[in-house]
Amino acid sequence: MIAANKPNKIARYGMSIDLDRCTGCGACMVACAVENNVPPAHEGATARKGITWIRVFKVDNGEEGPARRSVFVPVLCQQCGEDTPCVHVCPQQAVEVDPATGIVGQMPERCLGCRYCMAACPYHARFFNWWDPQWPAGMEKTLNPDVAPRMRGVVEKCNFCHGRWHAAKERAAAAGKSEIEAGAYVPACVESCPTGAIRFGDLKDAASEPAVAAKDAHSFRLLEKLGTEPKIYYHSKRDWVRQVAAAPKPPNGKENARG
Amino acid sequence: MQRTRRDILLFMGGGAAGAMLTPAPWRLVTDAAIWSENWPGIPRPARGEITARYTNCALCPAGCAVRARCVAGQPVSLAGVAGNPLSQGALCAFGLTGHQLPYHPQRLKQGTPEEAAAAVRGAMAKCGAGESVAVLDLAPGRAASWTYRRAMAAVANGVYLAPPPPLGGAAVNLAKARTVLSLGAPLLDGWGTPGNVHAARANFRLIQAEPWESRTAALADEWLPIRPGSEAALALALKDPKTAPSAAQATGLTEKQILDLANELTANGPALVLSADDLPEALALNHALGAWGQTLVARPEVPVPDAWKKAAPERVVASVPDNSIRVLFIDESVPGSHIPWGAIEKKLVRDNPVVVAFAWTLEGYGRHAQFTLPTAVYPELTSDIPPAIDSPAATFRISVSLVAPPAGMADPSAFIAKAAGIDAGNALQERADAIHKSGRGTLFTYADGKSTPLKDIKPDAFWKSLNEGATWLGGAEEPLTRRRGDAEEIPGELPSEAPRLRVSASDTFPLLVAFTTPTPATLSSPLMSKLYQDSDLRMAPNTAALHPDTARASGITGASRAVLETQYGRCAIGVIPDESVPPGMLEVAAGPEILDICGAFTRAKVVAA
Repeated sequence: MIAANKPNKIARYGMSIDLDRCTGCGACMVACAVENNVPPAHEGATARKGITWIRVFKVDNGEEGPARRSVFVPVLCQQCGEDTPCVHVCPQQAVEVDPATGIVGQMPERCLGCRYCMAACPYHARFFNWWDPQWPAGMEKTLNPDVAPRMRGVVEKCNFCHGRWHAAKERAAAAGKSEIEAGAYVPACVESCPTGAIRFGDLKDAASEPAVAAKDAHSFRLLEKLGTEPKIYYHSKRDWVRQVAAAPKPPNGKENARG
Repeated sequence: MQRTRRDILLFMGGGAAGAMLTPAPWRLVTDAAIWSENWPGIPRPARGEITARYTNCALCPAGCAVRARCVAGQPVSLAGVAGNPLSQGALCAFGLTGHQLPYHPQRLKQGTPEEAAAAVRGAMAKCGAGESVAVLDLAPGRAASWTYRRAMAAVANGVYLAPPPPLGGAAVNLAKARTVLSLGAPLLDGWGTPGNVHAARANFRLIQAEPWESRTAALADEWLPIRPGSEAALALALKDPKTAPSAAQATGLTEKQILDLANELTANGPALVLSADDLPEALALNHALGAWGQTLVARPEVPVPDAWKKAAPERVVASVPDNSIRVLFIDESVPGSHIPWGAIEKKLVRDNPVVVAFAWTLEGYGRHAQFTLPTAVYPELTSDIPPAIDSPAATFRISVSLVAPPAGMADPSAFIAKAAGIDAGNALQERADAIHKSGRGTLFTYADGKSTPLKDIKPDAFWKSLNEGATWLGGAEEPLTRRRGDAEEIPGELPSEAPRLRVSASDTFPLLVAFTTPTPATLSSPLMSKLYQDSDLRMAPNTAALHPDTARASGITGASRAVLETQYGRCAIGVIPDESVPPGMLEVAAGPEILDICGAFTRAKVVAA
């Protein structure tokens, strides 16, 4: 039972990603797909049309031969805190910022499929369902009951595994607490990262790892100059990585070495 | 006021136009969207009691501990087990999707076990002098492997074959290493137990000597881009600096770089040298650096019942005479090393050999076998997992069945034991009993994260714990019953007159093949397509990347189809031009077909399809 006299804490969930630890293994991508019932690639899917709520890009310094250096950059919805572009453009109010968590949520039930939000998102972190979701025969038994599969014609994106937030909230309530304890709620990508490169927590909690990372001199956010106040903080001690992130476009003009 | 028909039409038109400015049509669209969200074409996740079960991943030799979230008994997601002393709570992308393998479209569900048994009986009866019955075990060291060895000992001309053990059978103790030189080994990309490697990573300096910037090279403390195939020359020069000038020529590094590296390995020890393909030069360098007993150790054998010790010895395929195997069983029910089919085929007798493959898909050796008998696949199967290469302690853990296999699946142990006329028994439990009898080591249980000395656990409780998710860790005080890979067996001296290239240059096959995925021998979950089709993070199976100049020289322009040729054969592949791949190399994401025509290290050529 929730304690009646204690007001619920307003959280501002965020993430820190240590690029010096990311090996580009892809565990976060498949763990996300398993958790959120994202189907395997459709026969006609490509890197442009595929659905990957979190996608790891390989970015290099633009040099050739032995001077080339690469880094793996996981990119997901940056959970913009101010002037969230996708919220502003949605004609259906299918995108909302949850005031209790700061999470930018997408409601596929309201989505018309106009894709304005995809055009508005500066991070290309939104994905359109070009096909109905399909799993090989029998594999639908492995679907997560906490997340509804989406239909063809709607947009979807990372919501910090909101189903896990609800589950954590229920567990906390069952234990008579009004707040989720630190560490009781983590998205699937954070849980699955074998190197511990992705950390998650409440940015309002000064002791949380993302909050600590946010203050680090080696941390940065993507397209910070747009003023959207993303809640994903990247970290790298390599100067060239931070310089590439600040550059208007990747050194080789491509997002991915094999793009 | 008289209302005309025109007024009525105007009213209706105006009303319709006005309605467009109200929420009504949007509401209609929204409701239609909600309705269509639930139409029958969209699968509905099953509901039921949510429980956690524990097992160990059987998809590679690391055997990481797994916590499965189950809904009504069906696993719906997998995660690592925090606090596990071996896997440290980590699972790789393959392991995270392992629960979907039983539903893979390529799953083999039917076989002809009676016909296979009859053909085996006939061929065994026909087996003449100089001919043999053999089992090829791709994942040796399991309880099932001992059953095969016992079965082959019971057959007059039985042979037990296994891939050569990496590092000569030695184990790596990464926790003791302060400097690691990797000669192309994918240390941070699937080598050993990922969680253990990443946990140890903070304590050693990693130097990656490799022609291309692999995932490991990208995160190494230092990347030495050497010429393709010059790893052995570098290892030899580090052991014997007299050869540094010629090694500099072969590798493209400067003499100073080589000598500095040699000094660093000596000064910042204990050091460890790993190579992608078990170069003898790397083993000899380890010997010279004093790695044996420090970072490379002889792991104690996991105890086995005394009755099992009359078993056929382990042999490698190359040691068997050509055209001598009349009956060959291949167990690929558990993924393991891959041996090119061409190397196996030449060992078979010329007239009607019988090859029986035990597999869960037809994509492996089943393509070449007369009989392919379907088996359970992880997480349906129950099998123990041999100790990982980076575990200095003996371990015993079981991959427990989380879902029941479909009817009609073959049990390779029972089939081979029956063919050999022995009783397979319950080998897993017998081995667990033998371990318990030894009284050594501790048991780490996953549900509560506790370690308990084995002497405090009763045999039944030990067996029960193993089946509910646990790892037995042998203590260091265990007697060394088997000393494979010990220092005495490693060549201390190698001919040092000239550094040699790993594979001789060849005009016929000018490209050196480098595999990008460390354990490509099995099909993975369809969800892995997120990594190679829905994104460009990895290459799709049976695809190769090569430098645009190399592609042009081969007559290939842009991304296209091509033919890969090696000394073993040819197969169709997809080709991607990529400037990050050095000229003269071919970065390959192997599928079953490529594996069949490529050995551990291969030269190849690519021609336009």
